[in-house]
Amino acid sequence: MSVNNPVFGTIPRQSVVGMENEWVKMFDPPKADPPTPDMVTPTNPVPEVMAATGMQAVPSPAHTLERQLMHGMKMPTWDGAKELVFFVFRDPTNPTASGGVYPAPTTRVPRGAIFHGHTQGSGPPPHTIHWHGIEPTPINDGVGHCSMEIGDYTYQWQPNFIGTYFYHCHRNTVQHFNFGLYGLLPIMPPDAYFATLDNPAIPIGACRDGKFRTAANLSIIRGPTGGAVPMVAGSGSGFEGALIANPYPGFIGGLLTDPDPLRQFPTNPHAMTVPYDVEAIWVLADRDSVWSDLAEDARTTFPAHGPHPGIDDDFARKPGRDGFFAFNQFNPDYWFVTGVPVKAHRGGTGTVDPAGAPPAGGGLPDGLIPPALNSGISGTQVAISAKVGQTILVRCLNGAYDVIDVTFPLDVTVIAWDGRALGVPPFGFNHPYMVPAGTPIHLSVARRFDALIRSDSEVNGVATVKFLSARHGGQAGTAPVAVTAEIPINIVWAAPTVSSISGSVFGSRAGEPLPGVTMVLTSDTGRQTVVTDASGNYSFAGLANGRYTIIPNLAGFQFFPREREATIVGADQTGQFFRGRAT
Amino acid sequence: MKTGLDRCQLSRRDFLKYSVGGLAAIVVGSKLGWLMQTPAYAAVQTHTIELEIGDAIKQMVTHNSIHNAECYFWVYKCAQPVINPNAEVPGPTIFATQGDTVNITVTNLLDEPHAFFIPGVVASGPIPPVQNAPNNVWTKSFKVPATVSGALLYYDNLNEPVNRMMGLHGAFIIMPDFTAPPPGGAGNKWTPYHNPTANVQALFNAFGNPDIWPGLAWGEGGDNPAPHPPTPAFRTYIWLDHQASPNLFAEVGNFTPGEDYPAAQFVDIFLNSPFDATNSSNFKGAQYFTVNGQSGHFSHNNPHITPMLKVGEPCVVHILNAGLWMHSMHLHANHFYVTSINGMVQTNPLWLDVFNIHPLDRVDYVIPYMRPPDVPNARGIGRPDTVLQSPGNALIPGSVPHPVWPPSEELDFSIPSKIGVTIPGVGGLTALDAAGNAIDLGVQLSPLCYPMHDHSEPSQTAQGGNYNLGLIAGMNITGDRNLPGGVTEFPNDPDHVPPNTARASAEPHSM
Repeated sequence: MSVNNPVFGTIPRQSVVGMENEWVKMFDPPKADPPTPDMVTPTNPVPEVMAATGMQAVPSPAHTLERQLMHGMKMPTWDGAKELVFFVFRDPTNPTASGGVYPAPTTRVPRGAIFHGHTQGSGPPPHTIHWHGIEPTPINDGVGHCSMEIGDYTYQWQPNFIGTYFYHCHRNTVQHFNFGLYGLLPIMPPDAYFATLDNPAIPIGACRDGKFRTAANLSIIRGPTGGAVPMVAGSGSGFEGALIANPYPGFIGGLLTDPDPLRQFPTNPHAMTVPYDVEAIWVLADRDSVWSDLAEDARTTFPAHGPHPGIDDDFARKPGRDGFFAFNQFNPDYWFVTGVPVKAHRGGTGTVDPAGAPPAGGGLPDGLIPPALNSGISGTQVAISAKVGQTILVRCLNGAYDVIDVTFPLDVTVIAWDGRALGVPPFGFNHPYMVPAGTPIHLSVARRFDALIRSDSEVNGVATVKFLSARHGGQAGTAPVAVTAEIPINIVWAAPTVSSISGSVFGSRAGEPLPGVTMVLTSDTGRQTVVTDASGNYSFAGLANGRYTIIPNLAGFQFFPREREATIVGADQTGQFFRGRAT
Repeated sequence: MKTGLDRCQLSRRDFLKYSVGGLAAIVVGSKLGWLMQTPAYAAVQTHTIELEIGDAIKQMVTHNSIHNAECYFWVYKCAQPVINPNAEVPGPTIFATQGDTVNITVTNLLDEPHAFFIPGVVASGPIPPVQNAPNNVWTKSFKVPATVSGALLYYDNLNEPVNRMMGLHGAFIIMPDFTAPPPGGAGNKWTPYHNPTANVQALFNAFGNPDIWPGLAWGEGGDNPAPHPPTPAFRTYIWLDHQASPNLFAEVGNFTPGEDYPAAQFVDIFLNSPFDATNSSNFKGAQYFTVNGQSGHFSHNNPHITPMLKVGEPCVVHILNAGLWMHSMHLHANHFYVTSINGMVQTNPLWLDVFNIHPLDRVDYVIPYMRPPDVPNARGIGRPDTVLQSPGNALIPGSVPHPVWPPSEELDFSIPSKIGVTIPGVGGLTALDAAGNAIDLGVQLSPLCYPMHDHSEPSQTAQGGNYNLGLIAGMNITGDRNLPGGVTEFPNDPDHVPPNTARASAEPHSM
């Protein structure tokens, strides 16, 4: 026995005779421009809403998104040491994206709308768009070997589940995905965007009640089981502890099949949704600058079939046409969070500065993702800056070939994975869970989680993102940490001295004001008094955020309630009424 | 000259015959009769297994007569029962029922000790090398524990992880006794586990529920329109991941006879071989990435690896990682539930489209095989609603108003187009076979083809490049059990789903 004379001889390769068509298509699928089969009329309102603001041209055809690929561009690394080659999507109808952007524009679609995405491939082929997590028919799934590479084609699907997805080129994916041909794809509630078309006062992306919402079932949040039941990296296992009261206000339960009370949609668009005040997008990415240096051609080491498939195909185990043959050797040395560089070298720890000037910073105005690159939505963050008491939604995608462990400095609630909200009937054979501060959330490439955060005290910290080498098994403790990224999270009380507490005191007869009542306001920071006026009204102005107690006092009177609690979170608290009765 | 159809049908059978090698299965005992009738396995029933440990050269995926693309392996060859004339890597898949008895003999034909090990079930310890013959044989009769259900890796645990990485591994699947009623009382349907959690039991109970997932329960088979054979019950697939390094494996094979190749050195070279942009022929890291020993076309289009089922026919995929890399295995067309991780049935099973598979992980994906949910339908909430109506597309010849599912126009498309078929914007493609005869390279988009691939994409390569010849499988949709007209087989390309591959009718329904 030996390598030269093995006991069992040779294990023959399978023949491709009779399967040459499938064989060839696997590595060299044809470029095609077919009309969309089984086509229905698109209804996606997003391009129209964008056009109404001037952020893009009026879509033609109507309700059709435009995404072209690809455009090559070079960007300096944060340390100025290199220029990285990026492959990027462009949108010729959108001036902000017409030259190509990295990451690609965030594409949002309301659940239930018919999406049409027109795309053309140009520059070095091959290309497709795969709408990752969206599950349509194969020709609309954008996998070259299962349908075709483009060409010119209009993809069609109807998103059925609210949540976080992404889109990317699915040809020569090992290179095209890593080099930047991807963007986030959040599926929004059914009435988002339609609400703005109906009523321009509704912020773009908000629902018809004016609130931004996402899918969740917050009636069954559980915490860690503790004890003998371990948490298993990346799973929901180990979170069977006691039920946790839902800390996120405004959650609407019900069933997805409940009728729409306003009869605008087939079902209640807000069933099983929760409003959020702040949204952050974390697309975590890694790059190997040597790939960029040596394989800047988008066709690098891409095989082609020969005249006799299975006999003389253009394969190689020698250097490819561009002299590069090492896509199995990935050694990342630059990292990004939603396009913002992580300022660290291999093995180090670095923060992200979304608002900073490039190349070390992200160059995002005010640190926010521009609405023109965000399907019109304003205010989406990378580093989190929020107020105490606000609900924060983090959409996190691992777009890195390594595995990541994300650790938050405060408790968070995982409400969805991969575009599937946890615990939502009839598919809810699971439930949302609270991940305590300091406990990592583990996710390999292409996984997405949606997490909610709400703090009732100030936080000045960072989420740490450890990139664990997938080649070395991708597990904390054994795989090397390629880099640690820090994403700032700042949660502060709303600006002080802007809020008031006010109300009225009435007598025992309906509508009878009670003037001259001394109102005592107490909090951790002190005590103050005012007296009700002739109409029985009172007001405490210039109050900072916090919890307050109000107690009325007038000799010879008893008050109901005896006292009131009021909490100020950046907004006036009105309507603090009392009724007094002579004793 | 043969017609394209003749050639395809003939060679398709050849393809099936060869490709079954790595998936040949041994069924222990008599309680898994349904497996014997499952076309996904060339199964042989026995209580007695004889394995031989030897070495072999395997021709890997890259397919070009001027490139040999070979890799040296150590393998468990199945000597008895004879399920495959060739050795293979991985070793044969072994299915067993809890409580059954396995009589196993392992003969070591290599020149250093090797072992057969199933964690928590059986361990041979070192089996002496061939020089010690006839004492190079280990025999054991063991009972399959009633406390384990799901997939396990059997492997050689000596000199870890070298012997395992060199190819000495395979899948050992333990199933509950499906001839008994499902645990937990009336109303419950079968799961792959003797100890399902409440959520996993509820999940499997929902298969076949007309409001959620109409069609078959997992443990239920069903009839199909003639001439198609019935759909078997307990649809189960194995995706066993591995990474191979021809240069390093050859170095191990050529190491001093009778001495172990140093394990730490093996791991270091396998994982940390220095970067070499242009000379992959000297690279000692992983060059091939396999599912059940196959890559690219050979796994993706293989009906023994990639499920080819109809809407309404849920299946279970046991995923095992015998290698050292992590794989992030992403399925298109359906989200799957992760119901078990490393033997722990999940209390909170996530519904995902991708999950992390670490080295030696054992993870179960349960695929509902629902209609791809983002096909346009009435309410757009992921339920089995009536689909929308296409008004027709004037650009498609003959297009008339019709429902968007089944996607009748798409099922009719061939890309590239078949000779004689005209689709606007789609060209045809021809090539030559070895004898110089013309080959039509047209591929019909039926059955509906979807991949499962590692999204940690460096594994989507072979020999450092050659995109899409890496770790990939998939799921194909060949029909729909839930159409208004009844159980329907799509007009599938005969290359893909030959109607006569099943060997007998399915087991009587068992739920």
